[in-house]
Amino acid sequence: MSLTLTSPSGFWNPLLWLAFLILFTLIGYIIYSKGNPSYKKDTEQVKPYLSGNIEPSKEKIQVKAGDIYWGFVEALKDYYKVLKAMHTGDLRDYILWYLGIGAIIIFILIGGV
Amino acid sequence: MGKLYNFKRSLWVFHASGGSCNACDIEIVAALTPRYDVERFGIKLVGSPRHADVLLVTGAIPRDFADKLRRIYEQMPDPKAVVVIGNCGTSGGVFYDSYNIAGPIDEIIPVDVYVPGCPPRPEAIIDGVVKAWLKIEKLEKQLEGKKE
Ligand code: SF4
Repeated sequence: MSLTLTSPSGFWNPLLWLAFLILFTLIGYIIYSKGNPSYKKDTEQVKPYLSGNIEPSKEKIQVKAGDIYWGFVEALKDYYKVLKAMHTGDLRDYILWYLGIGAIIIFILIGGV
Repeated sequence: MGKLYNFKRSLWVFHASGGSCNACDIEIVAALTPRYDVERFGIKLVGSPRHADVLLVTGAIPRDFADKLRRIYEQMPDPKAVVVIGNCGTSGGVFYDSYNIAGPIDEIIPVDVYVPGCPPRPEAIIDGVVKAWLKIEKLEKQLEGKKE
């Protein structure tokens, strides 16, 4: 059984792939071993350089999905205040809204005819 | 991890300016420009203390900056040396005993070389960095000794 898979755009062989993986791991280790051996773990030396400032917590500097809509929500905050008050999280309330609005639409459609 | 090698490579320098009037900093820049061109000796300014061998500090160091300077110093890998450029960092200079000054610099971090002057000439700055180079070579040998 041949281990080589040939296609019009090239070929793939797991043994060749393994050989490259070993070679690159070796090259990676050689580069790593040339690094400065005197660095101290658990000190400022392993922290990022932020002009000497303390690294803020991840929560503080992360851009959250909600931040993308900040301007939008801020501009329409009065509208959202009403919506939030109506947003109970109870599925039965939403079904009720659904039926109510549905009834109004049907009423308009029938009334329009 | 591998062995430390003798300090035969380029010397990378990080510059921290703590409340200086900027004249010392401009003299450091002058040392980099074509007239003096310290890069031909392998002396290079880098953007992060984590890559630096030498810390150049200018200015009298206001209180707000003292902890930041300490952090910058701690972020440098060993062996390292600190060079103070100018009278402000050396003794406080014209800001001596001012209420908002935490310096002189040797009261905040250990200093290896002082380059006095207000501001010092680029030749003096280059001389200071070369002295720091000698110090680093010595420190490196000590580190090697500790490892063996
Ligand atoms: S030593 Fe003189 S030139 Fe340098 S920062 Fe102080 S006042 Fe300015």
